Amino acid sequence: MRIILSNQKIRVIDQGPASVETILSGLGINTLEMIVVRNGTLIPEDTVVFADDEIRVIRISHGG
Amino acid sequence: MGRKKGLSGIPVCSCCNEPAVVYHRHSRRSLCSTHFTSDVEERVFLAMEKNQMVRAGDRIAVALSGGKDSTALLLLLSRHLPKWEDVSLVAITVDEGIRGYRDETIRAAERVASHAGVEHSIISFRDLFSDNLDTLLEGREEQACTVCGILRNKALTQGAKNSGSTKIATGHNLDDEAQSVLMNVLRGDLPRLVRNSALETSGCFLPRIKPLAEISEKEVASYLFVNGMFLDLPECPYTRYALRADVRSMLSGLEQRNPGTMLRLVESKKKIEKYLGGAPVSAPLRRCRQCSDPCSGDLCQVCMLRQSLGR
Repeated sequence: MRIILSNQKIRVIDQGPASVETILSGLGINTLEMIVVRNGTLIPEDTVVFADDEIRVIRISHGG
Repeated sequence: MGRKKGLSGIPVCSCCNEPAVVYHRHSRRSLCSTHFTSDVEERVFLAMEKNQMVRAGDRIAVALSGGKDSTALLLLLSRHLPKWEDVSLVAITVDEGIRGYRDETIRAAERVASHAGVEHSIISFRDLFSDNLDTLLEGREEQACTVCGILRNKALTQGAKNSGSTKIATGHNLDDEAQSVLMNVLRGDLPRLVRNSALETSGCFLPRIKPLAEISEKEVASYLFVNGMFLDLPECPYTRYALRADVRSMLSGLEQRNPGTMLRLVESKKKIEKYLGGAPVSAPLRRCRQCSDPCSGDLCQVCMLRQSLGR
């Protein structure tokens, strides 16, 4: 699975099927601080993603 | 997580069979983009109605930084505007002068105001205080959020008054509100903890309303994404100096492990307000001896800050 992180770095992990929350928790990422997109569509953190998926993690910026 | 999932691994909406875009942890509901958008809008306008945030004849100055919260706020209010009688909106952007950050968000603010068809004005620190924030902070960057907060508040109020507004609407979300409660407790600042800026009856301040106060930060970002208005904008370079950054990180972890933590924290503030029953917890309002603005001491915060900055 390819994960495009908010700093544009790409992580490739050999995992899946697993929930987005499980995958991101394993990378030390709090899902409340991110939105996750697959194929241009927003997906909830309890979505099951698969080994051949690519997901993009977008950090929610704070403040104004 | 045993909710019903479609072939793509995406849970289906709790209200229909469309793929969900969000999972609301506290209520354990999954919602598709249509039901999520309706849900956010209904909760915002219910809160506005319950707290009587808008009245006929109001001109509302929307504090529009161009970031996600104020963008969502302006979109929501402008969509709802035709349902209000004799209410108008104006967007006010404060340009503090933060290199590598503010220019991009100002362009975003201009685009969203134009998209929403709302009058927009920009007021700058340079015009009001003769210098931009970067210059004012040279050698004291760790005080950035305190300095900026005081001056930005003054600038926003000035911009709202210039536009003939009766109220100021800000995009504070549930996370912001929970963080403020905890920060005020950590500082031991009871007057600020129980201050309700929406109930300004002294005639000294423009009342402030926070229509997004019951919507989480993630919901705000998700609302913008599913409505095609999400922008991955830079974050203010000074945020790393703020106490808020530590509190945000701690609360976010607590909320992840104990859904509902932020909501309970905000509700605890309301309970304290109720128990106080309007009893005064701070000195009565006075007028600043330099600028005549309302304040609690001899000088207002802006004049005190100007003195300490030697301006």
